[in-house]
Amino acid sequence: MLAVIKKEFLTYFKSMTGYIFMACLLFFVGLFFVMNNLLSMSPEYNGVLSNITFVFMLVVPILTMRLMAEEARQKTDQLLLTSPISLTKIVLGKYLGAVSVLFLTLVITWIYPVILSTMGSVNWPEVIGGYIGFFLFGAALIAVGLFISSTTDNQVIAAVVTFTALLLLWFIDVIAQSLPTDRTSGMIFAGILIAAIAFIFYMAAKNLIVSAGILVVGLLGELAGYLLKPTFFDGLIGKVLNWFSLLSRYEDFSMGILNISPIIYYLSFSGVFLFLTVRMLEKKRWS
Amino acid sequence: MIQVENLTKRFGQHVAVDSINFTVDPGEILGFLGPNGAGKSTTMNILTGYISATDGKALINGIDILEQPEEAKKKIGYLPEFPPLYGDMTVTEYLDFVSDIKGIKAADKKKGMDRIMDLVKVSEVRGRLIRNLSKGYRQRVGLAQALMGNPEVLILDEPTVGLDPKQIIEMRNLIKELGKNHTIILSSHILPEVSAVCERVIIINRGRIVASDTPENLSKGLGDTSRLTLRIAAPEKQVLRVVNELQGIKSVVSQGSREPDTVDIVVEADNNVDIRRPLFHAFSRASYPILMMKSMGLTLEDIFLQVTTQENPVSDKEVQ
Repeated sequence: MLAVIKKEFLTYFKSMTGYIFMACLLFFVGLFFVMNNLLSMSPEYNGVLSNITFVFMLVVPILTMRLMAEEARQKTDQLLLTSPISLTKIVLGKYLGAVSVLFLTLVITWIYPVILSTMGSVNWPEVIGGYIGFFLFGAALIAVGLFISSTTDNQVIAAVVTFTALLLLWFIDVIAQSLPTDRTSGMIFAGILIAAIAFIFYMAAKNLIVSAGILVVGLLGELAGYLLKPTFFDGLIGKVLNWFSLLSRYEDFSMGILNISPIIYYLSFSGVFLFLTVRMLEKKRWS
Repeated sequence: MIQVENLTKRFGQHVAVDSINFTVDPGEILGFLGPNGAGKSTTMNILTGYISATDGKALINGIDILEQPEEAKKKIGYLPEFPPLYGDMTVTEYLDFVSDIKGIKAADKKKGMDRIMDLVKVSEVRGRLIRNLSKGYRQRVGLAQALMGNPEVLILDEPTVGLDPKQIIEMRNLIKELGKNHTIILSSHILPEVSAVCERVIIINRGRIVASDTPENLSKGLGDTSRLTLRIAAPEKQVLRVVNELQGIKSVVSQGSREPDTVDIVVEADNNVDIRRPLFHAFSRASYPILMMKSMGLTLEDIFLQVTTQENPVSDKEVQ
């Protein structure tokens, strides 16, 4: 796995990709550092990080679009997949390779709080907490990008779809707020979700009976849920969308609160997408 | 060494490989022959664990590639149809990466790399970026990749594609050399290559094995007639008349005149009939000198065309 990490990391710096990613992120950190801290003479550094989370939307696709798509297009995945190394290690290696570029960039930005500390008092625990959150947030987005890259063999498609997906994640709180919260729409939403799961299963396994079974059992479960605990469906849409709200979990970090639950949330969010990436590669071999 | 049982691969409705069976003994060089799209690469991709079979089993040294992929893959070196090279790496960096993902111990790495680079003759380009190398060098770097870690089994998908004639001969000699201590499966749609290198040939067409034997036996088994080419110093009409009067002639075709006052003919005899003596005596009686007589064994090309254009397998015996 170390070999894959090393290879991915070095590949970023053999092309422009790694430099563009770093330059873009560093430019905005620098810009907001000057605006938030130097010009307004404030020692509060976490604002810089939370201001530039939006830059991730632009730079993460650059970092992840190549990861799997290019291997598939150049057929170099034949080397990886026929080597005595498990799919999980390949995916994890690629992920950590990309994450290490992010890590390196963040290490460079440490110069700013250090500069601040020479001129005022910096709340170090708060800054460290902010950095942990910022890093985990970026790492979670990289996992999304890695998964999307594994679904195609075209880098441009991977980049555009990743950008769209990240944008959707960004706006998910706003979207959730404007959706209906009443019981009926919650019920309908649950029904659509169950139907979608049954459909996905049918597309994957081509088994009509089992898919229909999933649909029927799911709908019966929904009915039972309604009879037993109807309040479950109140505001269900918002609750489900909230599972994907990466940004709302970031608020604690930006305020300097180091809470364990958002850390676990980000890690498991990444884990789910890494798992999906492994499944996607596995599926490609079977189809 | 390699055991394939009822291997089947379907892509949707399309059956790429249709329940094929074969075995490869240790140290054997097996040729996989077939037209483009016959299922050669698919079979190789399954054997190396790149894709999964829809049905059936593939065992490498008794290890199932589906059940214990990592164990089985350790024993295989694979050169796919398009060598899986990273253009932005140098040859050394690439082989270094390959030996790392193949889990070769750091102590053996340097030595192994030097040995293999010498063997496939890429030492002089070791510091160059792969994307700047010629097709011939890339193919050799691809082979070097397959050889890393000295696997017992080598699976080479069209290893000589894109090479110039001199490199093709070098590559063939190298494969023969490697065959001394490796089990090799090699695919090709170029027939002389297979007959030059392989001890046994499997002809595959539309996902099925249509023939399996040594190149020599294939020529023998399928050549159900013996054919002769003759050059006779006599007018065409008389020559054809003389031949047609003989017993045991299946057909005679005139090839026209290649030398002044002569005619070339191709005579095909019935099964197991040696017509060389009767032909000599007949022409001698008619006082027509025979300037040339040579037998035309079936070439691998003939066999290949014969078996790949037939609907059914040649015979059940051939398809083991």
